[in-house]
Amino acid sequence: MTVELQAPASEQTRARYPDSSGYVERDCVNLYYEVYGSGETTVFLLPTWSIIHSRHWKMQIPYLARHCRVVTFDGRGNGRSDRPPKGAYDEREFAADALAVMDATETERAVLVSLSLGAQRGLIMAAEHPERIGGAVFICPSVPLGEPVADRQLYAWNEELDTDEGWAKYNRYYWLRDYRGFLEFFFSQMFTEPHSTKPIEDCIGWGLETTAETLVATQLREWMDEDTARDLCRRVQCPVLVIQGSEDAITGPGRGIALAEETGGELVLLEGSGHGPHVRDPVKVNLLLREFIIARQQEIYDAFLEKRQ
Amino acid sequence: MTVQLQAPASEQTRARYPDSSGYVERAGVNLYYEVYGEGEPTVFLLPTWSIIHSRHWKMQIPYLARHCRVVTFDGRGNGRSDRPMGAEAYAIREFALDALAVLDATATERTIVVGVSCAALWGVLLAAEHPERVAGAAFISPAVGLAPPLPERAVYSFDEPLGTDEGWAKYNIHHWLRDYRDFLEFFMGKCFTEPHSTKQIEDSIAWALETTSETLADHDAGIALPTGVQFTDLCARVRCPVLVMHGDEDAIRPHAQGVALAEATRGEFVTLEGAGHLPQARDPVKVNLLLRDFVAPPPPTRWVRGKSRRKRALYISSPIGLGHAQRDAAIADELRKLHPDLEIDWLAQHPVTKVLEARGERIHPGSALLANESTHIESECAEHDLNCFQAIRRMDEILLANFMVFHDLVRDEQYDLWIGDEAWELDYYLHENPEQKQAAYVWLTDFVGWLPMSDGGEREAFLTTDYNAEMIEHIARFPRIRDRALYVGNADDIVPDAFGPDLPQIRDWTEEHYDLTGYVTGFDPSAFSDREALRAELGYAADEQVCIVTVGGSGVGAHLLHRVIDAFPEAKERVPALRMIVVAGPRIDPVTLPQAEGLEIRRYVHDLYRHLAACDLAVVQGGLTTSMELTANRRPFVYFPLDHHFEQNFHVRHRLERYGAGRRMDYATSTPETIAEAIAEEIGREVDYRPVETDGAARAAALIAELL
Repeated sequence: MTVELQAPASEQTRARYPDSSGYVERDCVNLYYEVYGSGETTVFLLPTWSIIHSRHWKMQIPYLARHCRVVTFDGRGNGRSDRPPKGAYDEREFAADALAVMDATETERAVLVSLSLGAQRGLIMAAEHPERIGGAVFICPSVPLGEPVADRQLYAWNEELDTDEGWAKYNRYYWLRDYRGFLEFFFSQMFTEPHSTKPIEDCIGWGLETTAETLVATQLREWMDEDTARDLCRRVQCPVLVIQGSEDAITGPGRGIALAEETGGELVLLEGSGHGPHVRDPVKVNLLLREFIIARQQEIYDAFLEKRQ
Repeated sequence: MTVQLQAPASEQTRARYPDSSGYVERAGVNLYYEVYGEGEPTVFLLPTWSIIHSRHWKMQIPYLARHCRVVTFDGRGNGRSDRPMGAEAYAIREFALDALAVLDATATERTIVVGVSCAALWGVLLAAEHPERVAGAAFISPAVGLAPPLPERAVYSFDEPLGTDEGWAKYNIHHWLRDYRDFLEFFMGKCFTEPHSTKQIEDSIAWALETTSETLADHDAGIALPTGVQFTDLCARVRCPVLVMHGDEDAIRPHAQGVALAEATRGEFVTLEGAGHLPQARDPVKVNLLLRDFVAPPPPTRWVRGKSRRKRALYISSPIGLGHAQRDAAIADELRKLHPDLEIDWLAQHPVTKVLEARGERIHPGSALLANESTHIESECAEHDLNCFQAIRRMDEILLANFMVFHDLVRDEQYDLWIGDEAWELDYYLHENPEQKQAAYVWLTDFVGWLPMSDGGEREAFLTTDYNAEMIEHIARFPRIRDRALYVGNADDIVPDAFGPDLPQIRDWTEEHYDLTGYVTGFDPSAFSDREALRAELGYAADEQVCIVTVGGSGVGAHLLHRVIDAFPEAKERVPALRMIVVAGPRIDPVTLPQAEGLEIRRYVHDLYRHLAACDLAVVQGGLTTSMELTANRRPFVYFPLDHHFEQNFHVRHRLERYGAGRRMDYATSTPETIAEAIAEEIGREVDYRPVETDGAARAAALIAELL
């Protein structure tokens, strides 16, 4: 039986609300950020593709904020942040936004945690601003490294297609025609685990907070190529953890495995998990994050002192 | 009751031996060091007060050495290191310089130091003055003057003659010189305030007896000599990460000293509630895990979502002798009938693995990391004489090392079920560390209760009672640990004894706390109902009188084999049709056995139980498995329980008598003549044994299957 999943009407009660929140303006784009908890170590939960916003970290924030300081923000194009027109969605814009949020929240140094496309801005930050990044966790990273997902059929994104079956829905014209239909398809692929109705509905709800037009704008940009990605990986000095679902149908496990190799980081393969394990297997992901952050605390602190001197 | 604990006679089998060892001479003092394992980082286990030597790290070394390189040495004044004279030789700085000399001798550039008690004095000195060599420091129960001593210890003078030797008045040079051992018993009792610490106390007393009260007095005075720097200043100079752990029941050094050291060095602090002064010996699992997390945190590994997991069981089969390989495999077969999708991995060691491999079972590769228990048991054996209670007790280091192997394995791999057939290490340490239980757990055994041998006297009775009491308390306090406790037998098989004075009757308690499965032979005797066909298949002629001599899978039966071989000529004379086959088994080399005209010696015989079903007589040791195979097959047999083996002399004997099975003989008083006579009388005899049930494995499996 197929029943249409619905997007929740309004934001549900949170387990924890931010201790402070605000906007920072960069290049005339307003970015909404939130800060939770306190402590020496800051975990910075980066935005991913603007199809969803910072609420996708809802399973991590209350837990991590009991152990360290947590900062997150809505990426341009969704949530409470502005939706600039096309041309404003290059990776470097997101990286610069993230640094602006760090400045605005007086975060000298942080451990980055990213999902999917967020990996690209995370890589730029870790490679180019080593003094500010104490560690980087990549969950199901979307990077131009390793093997792409095996059975994701390739269709042109920027051309009218004569089908809208399956991955043909990943198409500019289909988005504009049936945005919701795309969201339903895409998030069903994001959560390949059975019994994932709640995560799928949540994500559709967040997806509906932006528009097909904005999502199209996020795609009209320069894409990072393999050489650039490899070069950035080589420059990453901080500890790296990659958490990758073996059943990831969006980017496929090969991307995460390759990123761990290129950065010399640790890899945890989550067998049976899809592209959103932080939502679907939040206990395991939270514990892995905590272990990584705590285990690195001394290392991060030492490196920090060294850089300061 | 106070019973004098004894120091063990010689060093017990280690779970792991050093990969290299040697001496380094510094300022005329020879220091003995050991190196284990390889890789980064190096953990440097420091000497403490020389009342004990480096063996006090025995519970840490095998575990840590699997994850990093470990260096340790005997501090001057004990072990294999020299015992210089005079207080100056034992100044704090001397120990720090010794440690540096050992680091140089072992080509250790940088290390993480770990020290117990007053090792914190030289550990802090090293960390503060040699930051380039010390990458981290962990201190257990530090004896540091940053907080006042225990008030009861501040009463008596050490140097002055006292009018009393009660309590801490024993910490007095005159008492030491008068009665060193009495002091040691008192002091070690204070070191281990935890109940049921007899083994740790005895070990420590033995190490202390390797040095003298004069040396200790020099050491005490040496520690008191000024170092030229304030200890608080040294603490403030420590830059490396520091971990301090301290028991809140420490009766030697107050918990507050640990708290103060952690504060002074800005280190992390862990309170071990209920723990005494030497938790590395008494709570080794927890201390090992804390050290590992500090020194080399385990890397993350793959994880399988709950719903994606295959149904898996880990079967830990007791490795002493051939143990229970046959019955465990039979239970596994029955379990797979009930859960065809169940995958079973085996954590086992030689010789059990031999049987399992022959059956195509999957031996978990982690099995290769286990310290061999059979080798230890064999080393404890005299001529047909094995005090198996003491032998198991002297296996504490091996049991812990093997528990840590199990721990690492189940940390990385998810199992639905653990089955431990007399897996002592698993059962004991799960009850000691109940938070480590992560799967359904089934415990199986065919005997309950440690029983003292009569010539072990008051001491052995005291010890077995203490072990039984600890077990009873474990079960009462944590009934959730064992999801099933299976007794392989029937109620009447349980011995009619008590666990000890003021403890319950073994039978009452066992019936209350166990499910009884009946006996599990591991085969169906009805398969051999056509004995003639079986004999023909195995090559035994109808007119032969076949006598099989076997000691099962253990290596401790060689003397019995020799003596039965000596009886062969006379037996052959009495029974002309006699065909004697001696099975050496997997752990005795057949070439070490004497040959005799007409005698057959075989190495290992797979499915030996089929030969036993076909024979006319068997001569065996007093082990349960073989004797019950013979009972189930209704064959006459002569058995020789190992001397001082309480299981064979009480538990097995009681069961065999109930079945009316076997003719028991005493090895010590049996001659080749009396053995030949017994062979002649018993061979081919019709028996009227009580029948052995054949559904034991299925009953056990049905009880286990409910957990999946």
